[in-house]
Amino acid sequence: MKHTEWGFLIIIYLFLGGLSAGAFFVSALASLLQRNGSDAAYSRIARYGAMLAPWPVMIGCTLLIFDLGRWYTFWKLFFHFRWTSPMSIGSWLLIVFSGIALLYLWSWLSEEQRKRVISKLPRRLGFLNRDLSAYRRQLAVLGTPFAIAVGIYTGVLLGAVQSRPFWNTNLVAQMFLFSALSSGCAAVTLLTALRREENDSRAFQLLYTVDIWLLTLELFIVIPYLIHGALSVQAVKDSLALVLGGPFTVTFWLFFLTAGLVLPLAIEVLEVLPALVRRVNPHFRTSMVAVTAILVLAGGFLLRYIFVFAGQMSAFK
Amino acid sequence: MAVHQKRYVLVIDSRKCIDCKACVVACRAENNVPLGYSRNWINEERRGEWPRLLAAFEPEQCQHCESPACVRVCPTGASYQRPDGIVAIRESECVGCRYCIIACPYDARFFREDKGIVEKCDFCAQRVDRGELPACVETCPSKVRVFGDINDPESKVRALLEKRRYRTKKPEAGTGPQIYYLL
Amino acid sequence: MGAGMTAATAHFAPLLHRPGEHAGVERLEIPTTCEMCVNKCSLIAVVENGAIRKLNPNPASPRSRGMLCARGNAGIQQVYDRSRIKKPLIRVGERGEGKWRPASWDEAWDFAAKKLSAVKQQYGPQATLWSSTESFQEVFFKNLGLAFGSPNIVRHPTLCLASVNLAYSLTFGTVPSFDVLNARYIVMAGANRLESFITPDTMDLIDSTLERKSRLIYLDPRFTVTASKADEWFPIKPGTDLAFILAMLNVIVSEKRYDKEFVSTYTLGFDQLAEHVRPYTPEWAETETEIPARDIARIAREFADSAPRAFFYAGRRSSWYREDFQTRRAQAILNAISGNWDRQGGMVPNGKIALGEFPVFPWDDPVAPRVDEMETSFPLAAKGDGAYLKLRENVLAAKPYPVKAWMIHKQDPMSALPEQSKTLAMLQQMDFVGVIDIAMSDTAWYADVIFPESTYLERQDPAEVMSGLSPVVVFRQPVIKPLHDTKPTLEIVQGLAKRLNLSQYFDFTMDQWVREQVKELPLESPLDYLKKHGIYVAPGFPKYGSTLTADHRFVTKSGKIELYSERLKEAGVDPLPVYHPPAQPPPGTFRLILGRKAYFTHGNSTNNPWLNAFASENRLWLNPRAAESLGINDGQMVEVSSTAGAVRLKAQVTQEIRRDCVFMLHGYGKRSKWQRLAGAGASDAQVLETAWDKVSGNAALHETFVKVRKV
Ligand SMILES: Nc1nc2c(c(=O)[nH]1)N[C@H]1C(S)=C(S)[C@@H](COP(=O)(O)OP(=O)(O)OC[C@H]3O[C@@H](n4cnc5c(=O)[nH]c(N)nc54)[C@H](O)[C@@H]3O)O[C@H]1N2
Ligand SMILES: Nc1nc2c(c(=O)[nH]1)N[C@H]1C(S)=C(S)[C@@H](COP(=O)(O)OP(=O)(O)OC[C@H]3O[C@@H](n4cnc5c(=O)[nH]c(N)nc54)[C@H](O)[C@@H]3O)O[C@H]1N2
Ligand code: SF4
Ligand code: SF4
Ligand code: SF4
Ligand code: SF4
Ligand code: SF4
Ligand SMILES: [Mo]
Repeated sequence: MKHTEWGFLIIIYLFLGGLSAGAFFVSALASLLQRNGSDAAYSRIARYGAMLAPWPVMIGCTLLIFDLGRWYTFWKLFFHFRWTSPMSIGSWLLIVFSGIALLYLWSWLSEEQRKRVISKLPRRLGFLNRDLSAYRRQLAVLGTPFAIAVGIYTGVLLGAVQSRPFWNTNLVAQMFLFSALSSGCAAVTLLTALRREENDSRAFQLLYTVDIWLLTLELFIVIPYLIHGALSVQAVKDSLALVLGGPFTVTFWLFFLTAGLVLPLAIEVLEVLPALVRRVNPHFRTSMVAVTAILVLAGGFLLRYIFVFAGQMSAFK
Repeated sequence: MAVHQKRYVLVIDSRKCIDCKACVVACRAENNVPLGYSRNWINEERRGEWPRLLAAFEPEQCQHCESPACVRVCPTGASYQRPDGIVAIRESECVGCRYCIIACPYDARFFREDKGIVEKCDFCAQRVDRGELPACVETCPSKVRVFGDINDPESKVRALLEKRRYRTKKPEAGTGPQIYYLL
Repeated sequence: MGAGMTAATAHFAPLLHRPGEHAGVERLEIPTTCEMCVNKCSLIAVVENGAIRKLNPNPASPRSRGMLCARGNAGIQQVYDRSRIKKPLIRVGERGEGKWRPASWDEAWDFAAKKLSAVKQQYGPQATLWSSTESFQEVFFKNLGLAFGSPNIVRHPTLCLASVNLAYSLTFGTVPSFDVLNARYIVMAGANRLESFITPDTMDLIDSTLERKSRLIYLDPRFTVTASKADEWFPIKPGTDLAFILAMLNVIVSEKRYDKEFVSTYTLGFDQLAEHVRPYTPEWAETETEIPARDIARIAREFADSAPRAFFYAGRRSSWYREDFQTRRAQAILNAISGNWDRQGGMVPNGKIALGEFPVFPWDDPVAPRVDEMETSFPLAAKGDGAYLKLRENVLAAKPYPVKAWMIHKQDPMSALPEQSKTLAMLQQMDFVGVIDIAMSDTAWYADVIFPESTYLERQDPAEVMSGLSPVVVFRQPVIKPLHDTKPTLEIVQGLAKRLNLSQYFDFTMDQWVREQVKELPLESPLDYLKKHGIYVAPGFPKYGSTLTADHRFVTKSGKIELYSERLKEAGVDPLPVYHPPAQPPPGTFRLILGRKAYFTHGNSTNNPWLNAFASENRLWLNPRAAESLGINDGQMVEVSSTAGAVRLKAQVTQEIRRDCVFMLHGYGKRSKWQRLAGAGASDAQVLETAWDKVSGNAALHETFVKVRKV
């Protein structure tokens, strides 16, 4: 009966969930960092993040529902709360987070943007036309822990499964968190790159600096994960074989680790470093920025792809 | 006799298994398990060099674990553990997320495409509640399987476990399996 | 009336009734008897709202002991099988074309009666052949043949156990049972008792061997499940069992380890035996059997020293070799001198229960001699059951007279007889073929008319005595109404009898018949008892030693146990078993041997989806060294051929068989398109050659050498 129960729907769901968390995180970061709301680059990032954040996670949830054996019973997930079940906690988390993310987005809408939306909604919902811009910071502060929780949850969902040695280490949750945040960051970067403005380079610099931190952290968890695993009990050793000389070796080393993590990290560092050193404004090649962002996104996706499949294949002998 | 909380377990003497598959068919019949799936199965091991050959058969099914991973991860409580230790599934509550399948170290569960839910051995709770033995236990020609209440000092399972040496499968998985394999 | 009555037997109301767990469900538990194989295990059918929910074992049986095997559990599938024969069928296309016309019972009966009468008209009643395999209603079918005036009744023994039965009868005057449960030392030669279920022997062996109460020595060219549980397994060279037994005799006699007192009191011809076995030393046997001489000698000593709680197990299917009778005779002799006769843990004459017999109107015995010439070819054998393969040869040669109509009940000659092409030719030369079956077997596939019988869970059968260590009466009652337009054999027979003007011989109902059978049982209301319990166990068994009195006469010519047999001598057969080395497969060929698997019965449970799920095709067992020399890899398609025919199936390269033989499971390569596995795997019946044991006429099914080549 040995075959993989969870497939691409779950992988995409985990990826999108993380993406939203990341986008929100970066946006919140930007809006909190900028002093007295003056800095256009900051607020631009914050806005993009806010605009982006709610959607992927909501799409992801829909996918999750359609992955259920009986999708029409999904509501049962919300009629029970079972704190021992990451999936139960996760379901609630995602709902709350999506809610906040939507409010947060609302708070970033301009008068006429709101009007446009309202006009499409039935009359009764007219009351929604409220200006929340004053609450942006509060919403950011309120949402950030949930964003981080969602990022962690995508990892815990797997990490909490003791029977799959490949997953069952606390490092997985952190790995997924940082990968989530960085893919969110990358998504915002991509958006920025696509809608050119004169303050691009400041924005990129900021995004890059954040992403460098995140990718570095991720890198420094992936490596210990491998070492820790290699020194661990036989079952974990065996499961690691899946990536160290197994069906996922190439995907892991070449596509995920090299192309999806180290390479973009290197590019980002090379682009930002000189500027920092010579205290001049770096000039970014937008195409390059886009490519880097895409690499990071791909890396984030592959990480989930590898873990979901390899994890299910691993087992105690 | 003092009233005590029952704890059902299965003691299996694999040495006596003759690989006749009566248990597998009995389970299919008793629990309407569709073809292509099975709640129980016989592991087979064949070794040796002619003419010193060895064939060993080992029945396996849900271990009705002390701390069942399946129950822990189930988001709806569809998977639950009865006070008597039987780990069962409430069909009506199962959304078919298959988290429990992934969480089970023994691959004891399967997803029924036809119903969109997960199924596994439930020690024939319906029979046990009528005071009968599980179908596979009752029908086994060589009585490989002994079912009983380990909390009952008079029980056959208790006697066997006190008298004989035994092992459990994958204890390192940490779910506290409740099928005892006699050595 | 509750669930579980056929129209014909409505008064058999099941008595055991349990209210269902939840309202609206009528839950009945009806004890009855399994018919998925010959063992007649006791079961309890759980019936909910008229549908069979589950078949549970009935612990009341001392033979099946609360066991129901995989096949017994799968009985439900036989009843609810969509490919069942649901109505009488009359052939419209060519034979074997599979074109049928559903017919009413009257049509079917008229049709068959017309054909049978026509054959009788043209060739005489002896031109009709009536063949069947053991069933509770077989007697009605057989009687129809006899009443019709045909001597040609052929039953399954000469495909199965004729040689072993004859050998023991000629030695002890009866065929005993083996007290496996209480034995301390058991030698089994190719009686794969842990896969080929024989109750209670299988149950006993499980208790005695698996609980390490007895020592099991097992000889088999294959590493079977029994081999894997035995204390010692010897991959004996096929066909040399007689050499092994003779060497055991040699050791036990020369070392005077036999039971002298028993031998002198109860047996005849020991001196001739002693003389006879002198040349058969273990060293000699080693070269024949490929079992080390010291092991043979040791086993002989251990055997003798464990006597009387020791025996050489007779086995059931003895349709093995041309010399089979003498091999079984040697077993009997070995057991005799060990003094295990009628002793606990030894060999015990069967306990019996007498049933009443409904007085049937007597018919004149058929005038013509049997077509298989039993009287001249097998003078020592039991005449009534015939000799199947000799019979087929004669029918094909129309010798001594033509046979033009064939009625078949609960038997599948197309799978059960070797050299299928001959069986097919025999079918084709018939003017009429009528089959009584529940499923479209390969034989039914070639019939002109098929009478669908109700399955064992849908009908009332006569009560049946199972004699043995602990004799019982088993009872089979309907647990549901017939699902389709089917009838029990009695009614099918009565319908035919009416049209053949033989009604007076079948002028009774099943009810009358059964009441007559059981009325003498020492119970206040026997019938109700059997309905309630499904089985009657005679008290006071097992009994030991009742025949161990100086004045006891064994039912042999001399009244003693005949080690040396005058009767054999008179019949021109070796009075003591002489070893003739069996022909060995020429280089590049293999001996094809047969055997059972626990979840299949003969040729016809491969159609059961719950059972064939374990093996959707059969494969050819081939030893790795043999496979290597032929360049065959596991799973590769191979052709297996003999003078009888050629088949193709995948190879299963396995250590678990000798390199000089090959093996395939029975029941595959079906021709009948109604069979789920039609065409899957290969039919052993198509490659097995025709051979039989000289003395008993039992089929010799292990005498075929096959070529195997990669395709
Ligand atoms: N190649 C090969 N040949 C063999 C053997 C072997 O091992 N290999 N074994 C030999 C031995 S030991 C034996 S005993 C014979 C057995 O040979 P058979 O007596 O022919 O046994 P089956 O092949 O089971 O066929 C039994 C038939 O009865 C039908 N049947 C089942 N239940 C009922 C019922 O309730 N009513 C009616 N009317 N029909 C029913 C089945 O559908 C099937 O067609 O085969 C012998 N031939
Ligand atoms: N599950 C199941 N049980 C059954 C039946 C069934 O169809 N299925 N049929 C019933 C019937 S009718 C019968 S007759 C019995 C038959 O059951 P058994 O009497 O056990 O006969 P088989 O299983 O046909 O063959 C037994 C073994 O003989 C081995 N053998 C072959 N050649 C030789 C040889 O030269 N020497 C020795 N020592 N061994 C050899 C074969 O490898 C095989 O494993 O089973 C009965 N029980
Ligand atoms: S029924 Fe008993 S002997 Fe047969 S396979 Fe199952 S456990 Fe083994
Ligand atoms: S074996 Fe698996 S399914 Fe059964 S209780 Fe344990 S974890 Fe749950
Ligand atoms: S599949 Fe059903 S039983 Fe398993 S975890 Fe999900 S809801 Fe619970
Ligand atoms: S206990 Fe019941 S459900 Fe479990 S394997 Fe045995 S028969 Fe099947
Ligand atoms: S051995 Fe199995 S198939 Fe044969 S009668 Fe018993 S239960 Fe039925
Ligand atoms: Mo047989």
